[in-house]
Amino acid sequence: MATDSRRKAEAGRGANTGRSPWKEQARSYLDHHRKVAKDSARRLWKTPVGTGMTWTVMGVALALPVALLLLLTSLQGVSAGWESSARITAYLKLEVPLEEAQALVDEIRTDSRISDIELVDREQALAEFRASSGLEDALDYLGENPLPHTLLITPEERSRSATGVEALVTFVRGLEGVERVQVDLGWLQRLNAMTDLLARAVWALAVLLAAAVILVIGNTVRLAIENRRDEILVAKLVGGTDAFVRRPFLYTGAWYGLGGGVVAWILLQLSLWWLSGPIERLAGLYRSDFALVGLSFDGVLALIIVAMLLGWLGAWVAVKRHLDDIEPGDIAGG
Amino acid sequence: MIEFRQVTKRYDSDHTALAQVNFGLNRGELAFLTGHSGAGKSTLLKLIMVMERPSAGEVVVGGQLLNRLPRRQIPYIRRHIGVVFQNHQLLFDRTVFDNVAMPLEVMGASPRDIGRRVRAALDKVGLLNKEKMNPMQLSGGEQQRVGIARAVVNKPPVLLADEPTGNLDPELSADIMNLFTRFSQVGVTVLIATHDIGLVNDMGRRTLTLDHGRLIAGGSSPLHGAPGGVSGH
Repeated sequence: MATDSRRKAEAGRGANTGRSPWKEQARSYLDHHRKVAKDSARRLWKTPVGTGMTWTVMGVALALPVALLLLLTSLQGVSAGWESSARITAYLKLEVPLEEAQALVDEIRTDSRISDIELVDREQALAEFRASSGLEDALDYLGENPLPHTLLITPEERSRSATGVEALVTFVRGLEGVERVQVDLGWLQRLNAMTDLLARAVWALAVLLAAAVILVIGNTVRLAIENRRDEILVAKLVGGTDAFVRRPFLYTGAWYGLGGGVVAWILLQLSLWWLSGPIERLAGLYRSDFALVGLSFDGVLALIIVAMLLGWLGAWVAVKRHLDDIEPGDIAGG
Repeated sequence: MIEFRQVTKRYDSDHTALAQVNFGLNRGELAFLTGHSGAGKSTLLKLIMVMERPSAGEVVVGGQLLNRLPRRQIPYIRRHIGVVFQNHQLLFDRTVFDNVAMPLEVMGASPRDIGRRVRAALDKVGLLNKEKMNPMQLSGGEQQRVGIARAVVNKPPVLLADEPTGNLDPELSADIMNLFTRFSQVGVTVLIATHDIGLVNDMGRRTLTLDHGRLIAGGSSPLHGAPGGVSGH
């Protein structure tokens, strides 16, 4: 082919002037990407209402699971905090004297599963109870101190699991002079079970909403493909590869994702701000330091990247589905 | 450059668009393709463009057999074939320059290269001063010339034209034909489908005539003949 040899000659000249052809090619490839990306963004910008609506739909769909995940993380933080402070309370029999209780403390302390043990003697317990309960008068009516000596046992770090605590409770319960052992693990287990369940529900919801996002973007990009039908035809006619024809739409999807991610982040910040006051008050009432944790910088970045990926994926689905239908077969009539 | 060997194209079981077509075109040859409407002109062009595949026989363009060309190779074949349409297929959402630049952008040419080659192509069709205009502002003849500039901007070895003068008056048609002649003189193989018999007779070039899918004239295969060979009619 004449033109081929001419082209080769040109390429040869280019090499002689010291410019490596693959570098040139890589640069023009990147230039092309930049141009397509810019052009896709400009097209979205030209239809602000439609674009805004798509962004909002995507933002809402993304914000919902992320908000639930944040709530879940906060809850798990709370339960973890409580788990670490899980203590076993052992009430001794009323007739056990203080010396014997002290001996018991020393015996338990030697167990490797115990990190700390504290003896609350009955007089001290009564004084505390008197101060905190406001039942001073009623207590005065009682002839003698109704409270036993109490041991507060903090398990070692690795024994803080449900089974570890269970074993410890059995051990303490078997000791001489122990009347009753109390451990408040039941509610902790229930909370854990609930957060586990919630976590699964949230992930299921997240998957469903991600699918919805992909479909929404897919449909929007399908319309964009229809609008640019002529251009696609011509590009295919003059030798545009599938990748070339696909590229602007994939960028369009990614830009939708970017906007959707940003809208989701704004929605999250707004609702956090809106809820933080009441939550603080409620947590205060429960004497808890529970607080809704917002998205970290990494979290925001991840949210936006995931949103862009979803947008890209949605566009890809639409492109795969509809671009092949546009073939220049019917262009030449007759 | 273009060779058809016993090419048959059936669309459905009953409709045969082309039947056992044999011909060859050399480098730098300019030929016409005529026939009544529905004779198979467009089908023949589409086979060269790989818009359609033959039901039987072989289509060879530039030494490459197109029959079993994988789908993803098609774009690279099309980059060697310029096409001019009757309705010119210009995009009205961009300037004349950007329209002509499309084949180069598709190839990933550098902006500097694109600027130089687009202006060269526009200069050839005499529209250099209109590069910034929208094709909508141009006359029919000018639009057709933009289409030609786009078809030749990447210097393809093959140029196809489907009714390129369909909507133009005789004077403009002659202009366009002069352009095609000039391209063939620099080695481009040009095949022009038209039913403008007057024009064909004026040019006195080789003419392939189709009738109900059969090639009834001009079908000799000057495989080793002189470039630009004129077989008359």
